[in-house]
Amino acid sequence: MAKQQRHQYSTFRNSVRTALLSTILLGGMAAAQQRGGTLTVGLSYDIDTLNVYSTGFLHDAVAPVIEGLLAPDKNAKYVPVLAREVPTVRNGGIKVAADGKTMVITYKLRPNVKWHDGKPFTSADVKFTWEAVKNPKFIAESKSGTEDISRIETPDPLTAVVYYKRVAPDFASTLFTFGILPRHALIGKDLNTDVYNTKPLGTGPFIVKEFRRGQYVALVRNPNYWRKDAKGQSLPYLDAMNFKIIPDSNTLVAQLRSGEVQMAYNVPYAQVKQLDALAGMKVVQNKVLSWQHLDFNFKGPAALRDIAVRQAFAHAINRGAISKALGGYPQVIDSVVVPVFDTYNRNVPRYPYSVTRANAILDAAGYRRGADGIRAKNGQRLSFRIMVQAGRANDEVAQQVIIANLKAVGIELKPDNKSGVAFREARYNGSYDIWYGGWITSADPVYSVFFGSKGVNNGQAYSNPRIDQLLTRAESTLDATAQRTALLAFQTELMKDLPSLPLTTNISMIAVTDKLVNFVPNPTNMTNFVDVAEWYLRR
Amino acid sequence: MNVNFLLKRLAGMLPLLLGVSLILFGILHLAPGTPLDVYADNPSVSPEALEQMRLALGLDQPAHIQYFHWVRGFLTGEWGYSIRTGQPVTREVVEHLGPTLLLGGTSFLLALLLAVPLGVVSALRRSSAVDYGITFASFLGISMPVFWLALMLQLLFSVQWRLLPSAGMTTIGDGSPLDLARHLILPACILAFANVAGWSRYMRSSMVDVLSQDYVRTAKAKGLPGRQVVYRHALRNALLPMITVIALDFAGIVSGAVITETIFAWPGIGRLFIESMNGRDYPVLLALMMIGSLVLLISNLLSDIAYAIADPRISYE
Repeated sequence: MAKQQRHQYSTFRNSVRTALLSTILLGGMAAAQQRGGTLTVGLSYDIDTLNVYSTGFLHDAVAPVIEGLLAPDKNAKYVPVLAREVPTVRNGGIKVAADGKTMVITYKLRPNVKWHDGKPFTSADVKFTWEAVKNPKFIAESKSGTEDISRIETPDPLTAVVYYKRVAPDFASTLFTFGILPRHALIGKDLNTDVYNTKPLGTGPFIVKEFRRGQYVALVRNPNYWRKDAKGQSLPYLDAMNFKIIPDSNTLVAQLRSGEVQMAYNVPYAQVKQLDALAGMKVVQNKVLSWQHLDFNFKGPAALRDIAVRQAFAHAINRGAISKALGGYPQVIDSVVVPVFDTYNRNVPRYPYSVTRANAILDAAGYRRGADGIRAKNGQRLSFRIMVQAGRANDEVAQQVIIANLKAVGIELKPDNKSGVAFREARYNGSYDIWYGGWITSADPVYSVFFGSKGVNNGQAYSNPRIDQLLTRAESTLDATAQRTALLAFQTELMKDLPSLPLTTNISMIAVTDKLVNFVPNPTNMTNFVDVAEWYLRR
Repeated sequence: MNVNFLLKRLAGMLPLLLGVSLILFGILHLAPGTPLDVYADNPSVSPEALEQMRLALGLDQPAHIQYFHWVRGFLTGEWGYSIRTGQPVTREVVEHLGPTLLLGGTSFLLALLLAVPLGVVSALRRSSAVDYGITFASFLGISMPVFWLALMLQLLFSVQWRLLPSAGMTTIGDGSPLDLARHLILPACILAFANVAGWSRYMRSSMVDVLSQDYVRTAKAKGLPGRQVVYRHALRNALLPMITVIALDFAGIVSGAVITETIFAWPGIGRLFIESMNGRDYPVLLALMMIGSLVLLISNLLSDIAYAIADPRISYE
């Protein structure tokens, strides 16, 4: 949840069928095959810290080191890691209070788990994690979930009882899933500056050997890892993993081609064919829990508050053309819930590509074409600024298509691209007219942050009481059916009102050596590297 | 030249630096965004926490107060902490300065060793095929985009022939001098290339200039051997204007080769600057820009001093 905005295009998913198939086939081979190898992964961003709670970036390099109680698997379903099972109402792990306003989650922890320094992992670590992250002195990028908890009890070393102030169906996508902090190593320390940030202590399959800022993170195999494979052999299979920081995408491709790097994700669409054709390399397509969309700013030009104008946008934009311009990889969508989820609504109001209909709607609403071909009403021209993140090639390509599409119906769009903090500030403050970009979510998305009246990512100042009500219902119940009903209704309402126009899904392209066995990508906003224990390189 | 002159020049730098810092600070604060915007649209950072951070960083105070705090801190060596990484600014700068100086220094020497002979040869063989060849090559060098050339070299040396690493500063887990040298070759050559092109043009025109001077003609007329005329009399004088150019270009090394460092994943000042800029990391940015200005002023001074040493007729009062 916390990482929704910065992690656009950052994680992936294979189709369920392929994923299952490859697990069965490769898993069977694993026993007979050799183990070992050193996998070097290229990352396109600079790592600021190795503390998962301090960084807004993905946890790629840390995921093999730090473990949480739960983790999202390849199908975006939570599975137990340091917990013995995923708590649910059915298995008694979650108990909702009689008044339906609070809940208690009991985590049963895995026994015989050791930190990298040999100390045992216990429920005290779970409690400490909450206290440390919640601490106001700790400047964290990810504190979500801490405020929902009122207290934690640890009746014995392997039981943590977490008292929630509200019914939080999204409990799994925050705090204890990101990672558990070692109490014995961090108690009394300043988490903002502690050595933990460059050499984190975890329970995971790999240990941080060296972190060189701006260069790489080198991990080595944890010989005392708690997990064993089906045959009782100790995991992980790989001897070592390296994460190399390569900011330039062309250089990253050169590194893949020269074999200096064996894996890289978010390969630019334009380079996919080239890489796929290389001997020893394959490109895996992943349907991430992410979608591209246009947001209309309700604090912006008055015309954007006119539903007719927004409908005209919806009909005028050729989403198929956008997908085609992006190599044909992204899929055209009609709702903000990506089709991977069973809450995806197929029956929302649709706006098929039609210049005629867009023109008719604008004509009927009284927008007449001026001498320059741009429509206007009462002296107000339909001319807007459109913002995308500067330098993001895929987005800039889509922006060109959108500008051309709207020109055809008499609406003028001028590029207004920004980068870095300026871009984030503009999006947050809503100093844009129209915004094109993408969101990625966790396995149990919270849509109110985007579309709720008080949503933190609602920079467009959109407010609709009915949507607020539906989202509140969906986000405060553990009843899957009730949640689904509310989410379906939310999508219908959203597409009627069109504050945001969903365009395509996102596909993350992972280039990887064909020697890597057992690799299955992860579609959520966590990371691909949450489950690396069973990977190995064929010799 | 005397000590007085040096002291005067050094003293003159202070108001200049102060002025520079004032302008830089002003520009940074006028630019959209603050360091906290990184958290602004993050649902997990509450408005109260944001306010707390704003207070902690002193961002709630008016710009001029912030400026005074900063100047005081800067002078007393309290450069603060990077907002992005939480590391002390001094450590950030030192960590990135080393790689930049290594890369810049190597390319600098390389360029010098190539540019001077090329310029001299070009001037001596004026209007010959050699001269045209060198001139053509240097114009090619000046106009060739760095990123393109870098990509071509990476493709040839790393992908095709697998002779050199395409990026990075060390092999993971290695870092021996030989390993470092192998990683240095491509970026240093790329960086040197542009300088060679420019400097050899300077050297050529300076040499041509000197060769047409009366004293050179006199020396030749006296029957001195050509070699002696060229290398003892002409070259020494022709190098004078080069000193200024080269000393000033030295400042460019520290301010960083942003593009080259990004392409070759070289962990230097250039990349630190870009990352800090994108995050509006004021403490790091200001420190970097002040260091850059200081180095520029110092290399300016050095060029004056070098000039005076090379040509004793020039004196500063």
